[in-house]
Amino acid sequence: MTTASETKTKRISFNRTIGVAAMQGRGFYYPWAVSVADDGRYFVLGRGSDSDPRGTRYTVMNFEEEYFGTFGAFGTGEGESLWNTCTAIDSAQQLYQTDESLHRIIVRNLDGDLLNTWGEHGAGEGQLNGPAGIAVTASDELLVVDQQNGRIQKFTGDGKIISSFGESGSGDGQLNLPWGICVDSAGDIYVADWGNDRVVKFTADGGFIANYGSSGRGEGEFDAPASVVVDEDGYIYVADWANQRVQVLDSNGAFVQLTRGESNDSKWAQEFLDANSEEQAARAGANLEPDIEFNTDDPHEASAHIEKYFWGPTHLALDNDGHLLVVDSNRHRLQVFDIS
Amino acid sequence: MVTAKRNPALIVIQLAGGNDSMNTIVPYTNGIYHDSRKAIGLTESDVIDINGTLGFHPSMGPIKDLWDKGNVAIVQGIGYPVPNRSHFRSMDIWHTAESASIAPDGWLGRTIREIDPDHGNVITGINFGRGLPRALHAKGVPVASVGNLETYGLLPDIKDQQTRELAMDVFSRMYSPSDGVDAVLQEISDTGMGALLGADILRTAPEQYSSSIEYEAEVEIAQSLRDISQVLQADLGTRVFYTIHGGYDTHAGELENHAKLWHELSTAVGDFIADLEEHGRGDDAVVMIFSEFGRRVLDNGSGTDHGSGGHSLVIGNGVKGGFYGEHPSLELNEQVEGDMAFNNDFRSMYATLLDEWMGIDPHPILGENYEQFDMFRR
Amino acid sequence: MTTTMTSEKALMAHLMRRAGFGASSEELDRLVEQGYDETVDQLLDIEQPNRMSDNIIRRYHSEYSGMMGNLSAGANWMYRMVSTDAPLREKLNLMWHGMYATGYSKLANGKVLHDQIRMFERHGMGSFKDLLIEISKDPAMIVWLDNVENHKGSINENYGRELLELFSLGVGNYTEHDVKEAARAFTGWTIGNTEYMTMKSARDSVWPYGRLSFHFEYKADDHDDSEKEFLGRKGNFNGEDIVDIICEQPATAEFLSRHIYSFFVADEPPVPEWPYKPPRDPEAIAALSNIYFESNYSIKAMLNYLFKSEFFKSDTARFQRIKGPAELVASVLRLTEEFEKPDISMNPMSQQAQFMGQHLLSPPSVEGWHWGTEWIDSGALVERVNFASEHFGNLDAPGVETLVNRILDAGDDIAPEAVIDRTLDELAITEISDNSREALIDFATRQSESAPADQTRRERVVNILKLAGATPEFQRA
Repeated sequence: MTTASETKTKRISFNRTIGVAAMQGRGFYYPWAVSVADDGRYFVLGRGSDSDPRGTRYTVMNFEEEYFGTFGAFGTGEGESLWNTCTAIDSAQQLYQTDESLHRIIVRNLDGDLLNTWGEHGAGEGQLNGPAGIAVTASDELLVVDQQNGRIQKFTGDGKIISSFGESGSGDGQLNLPWGICVDSAGDIYVADWGNDRVVKFTADGGFIANYGSSGRGEGEFDAPASVVVDEDGYIYVADWANQRVQVLDSNGAFVQLTRGESNDSKWAQEFLDANSEEQAARAGANLEPDIEFNTDDPHEASAHIEKYFWGPTHLALDNDGHLLVVDSNRHRLQVFDIS
Repeated sequence: MVTAKRNPALIVIQLAGGNDSMNTIVPYTNGIYHDSRKAIGLTESDVIDINGTLGFHPSMGPIKDLWDKGNVAIVQGIGYPVPNRSHFRSMDIWHTAESASIAPDGWLGRTIREIDPDHGNVITGINFGRGLPRALHAKGVPVASVGNLETYGLLPDIKDQQTRELAMDVFSRMYSPSDGVDAVLQEISDTGMGALLGADILRTAPEQYSSSIEYEAEVEIAQSLRDISQVLQADLGTRVFYTIHGGYDTHAGELENHAKLWHELSTAVGDFIADLEEHGRGDDAVVMIFSEFGRRVLDNGSGTDHGSGGHSLVIGNGVKGGFYGEHPSLELNEQVEGDMAFNNDFRSMYATLLDEWMGIDPHPILGENYEQFDMFRR
Repeated sequence: MTTTMTSEKALMAHLMRRAGFGASSEELDRLVEQGYDETVDQLLDIEQPNRMSDNIIRRYHSEYSGMMGNLSAGANWMYRMVSTDAPLREKLNLMWHGMYATGYSKLANGKVLHDQIRMFERHGMGSFKDLLIEISKDPAMIVWLDNVENHKGSINENYGRELLELFSLGVGNYTEHDVKEAARAFTGWTIGNTEYMTMKSARDSVWPYGRLSFHFEYKADDHDDSEKEFLGRKGNFNGEDIVDIICEQPATAEFLSRHIYSFFVADEPPVPEWPYKPPRDPEAIAALSNIYFESNYSIKAMLNYLFKSEFFKSDTARFQRIKGPAELVASVLRLTEEFEKPDISMNPMSQQAQFMGQHLLSPPSVEGWHWGTEWIDSGALVERVNFASEHFGNLDAPGVETLVNRILDAGDDIAPEAVIDRTLDELAITEISDNSREALIDFATRQSESAPADQTRRERVVNILKLAGATPEFQRA
């Protein structure tokens, strides 16, 4: 379902679904974030589950659902991770991922070769407690959301602390278990302030600019937003995680549009169904958008029943061709939208 | 009925996840096989030929060696009526030997009870792994679950030797029979003493063991079989051994994963048999390898999905090597919804093992009479 | 047996062990001050419990959000058991789960089982009649007991039978004809997208996009709309009518009362033996049955009566239950306070209950688990003892640090006996055999005497804590 309140504003429209559930190999198992390389490939970071460690990996693919392989593993050893949270690529095409259980950052090249691992658990300067969102500035500095410490820290690519800002709280400029982060073309920083149900905008130096949104289910309201991304026109896209939807705000923060998601069957999904014709037939005969009363008004419930909806939208990213990628974690897929 | 110098032991290896039997015992000359397995089919040059039409998966060298000695029975097309493709339900069926309804007890639990009705030996049956698979469960039947033989026991986190001795002494006193305690406490105490005793007895097994065989390090199934070998050779009266090798649910990346799994398993089984032989115990044990179902005839581009009708292997000196049951037809009209049809009930294999190898009447354990295979040398 | 605390505190400890997962010594002191009846009222009256929120759990645990597998629903529940300030709700959920045992093996879907437990939360303390209707509409139950195969003109008796045998009346209180008529009345009570959902379960399919949630659907055209005869009554009964008639039966009142008694007062023999073995306390069962009728089937009223009754409070009820595995795990973790925030180690933690013989939401059959001493087979006892010992030895856990500090607070020079009594007090082991107590005192004495130079008093107290958790008495509730 999508609504819009103005004309002549940008809107997103559903293009396609890519991906399919796969405990290993070609597909995803609880994908939680995606980075786009200069060559257009999508590096989808899978959280997996600690009860089935094969899902903790990158899957590399692209808009056309070509498959380029996987790398990464569950564990505490070198180059391994436990709770994959977010990912980013810098201009040198170095691939960064955050692990909010081991409190560290893993750095690879796009072939998956391990280049570096850094991060020390703690609350001191340069230490991390639950690193979540990660973004790259125009000068290739890393912004890491230091979630449990309620702050944002800026590092060099190899982990030297540059600066930090923010503190725990719910006042202006404060953060409560923040999750996602992005940088706009002017260098301003946006943080998905998960625990405060809002998006907070800062200057490049961490000076407070504005709050967007407040707690709720209405237009322009959020419940535990996970991710935010800003395009070249300043439009703000928010993964409104607990409301199971994506919202679009204009560059002033005014509400433009929201969507619960409209997934269809991806190429990989279709291939599975082609190899399992009885299941395909049964699926064709089923109503995947049942009109029923739910036992609770938690949107999580509706998304669990209605397959096309977002279920756990954890991350948003813009690719190189004007698409908005929505990482639909509990559905093991990405929903891709055109922006126009 | 086989008589052995020592009481014959049965080692059951469960392959968890549903082993792709068609890529294990490969009908490599069958055109339908290759047509159905475009992504993950194995070729004639990949497989280790058995009889000109079937071949072992390339990783199964050690098992081929045992086959050549005439010690491997391949039971084909094994399953049960109305195949169930859910891991847990299907595994329950194999565990309880009951396909029509849900039963709480396991066939091996009932077996242990038949062997040792008075619980004279608390380690008549041992599971190597955590928790107790339902196959071994039966009301009132003590079964030890050993995660790691070297560290098995009570309060393993008390490591300091002196404190440990004190602690074990205290434990023993707390769980000793005493006056004026109610029946429940009595029962808890009996169980505690049994556990302590079992741990004490098992502790002697690694101490007595020495072998030239080096099992693969860091490979869980190899370490489990090594532990089993130690306990078997220590003559502690254990008749039923159980362990689980996981990872066979190869929906994706099958070629690589399946190869690794069968390498680990075949090497471990080969080492285990060699270890027993080295110590003159080759006649005392039979290994049964099974999985909860086979997988679909068609691959899905990277692996295979749940199917039915697989293979089991029975390995040992006492076994008459060869094929038992028929290879299921791959013809489309003889498939069952895209899966291979079973042609012999797994309980026939159970009945054979119970009767011919263990020397136990299978009827009370399986509830019915099942036709047996002529699988053992007399 | 030796008692180590005041009778009011011992009674409160007994209440908290039964109506909850135990309580620390500190908490018990506070509750004693509050008063017994007030505490019972508080336990019964929490509508909006404080516990770790769904958002927080899902934020970190992808699988407790998507709930595809057979561990997630149990582990999610373990978080709630460990963090809730309304433990009676979770104990009641455990009781209902044991009575209406539904398992992953046929559903291949963690969420539908999780949803069943949430249904128990909503209806578990209300009217038993409403609960039976909700169970009959519960998608997990419908699939588990094959009501998807129960059609007009071609009935499947499974649900009808278990409803009467295990869920309400008990064996001997109905006929085979009643089973069939009940089955006929429940035709049409099925799930939406029946073919696709049952196929996905049978194939354990997570494709293409994870699991789909189940929903109840009443198919009127598949419902047998003709006259039926059930327990001597005639009419064109639908499922609700069957439940009505069931609830009116004294046998239902007694069966339910006996279950409640067994779970909260003292272990009864296994249900299959009930036709042949009378209740331990027939008067208590009769009294509870009365309340059942007087209160119009209110579970809450029955519990209120139970907790305030003499048969509950008396000495004869103390330690007459064996802690179930989930209960033991939750009790230990509540004391150690290791899960104030989500942590990746929750899965293995929840699995400990499985290794002890209780895989939450994967019972061996609809009969649930056999309780009492059947929880203690040798493999399980080793797991239970080792679990308590390992966690009581975790000095990084805030709760363990508190326990150790409180024991050390008793003073540097106190005699081993006093240390032991203090430890037993802290763990609310209010009764202990002379045998066990003397063994523990002996341990404390000998440990001190032979202590190596680098061993601290702290470490010695921890060892004592471990052994206290290893006592046979600790297995009981």
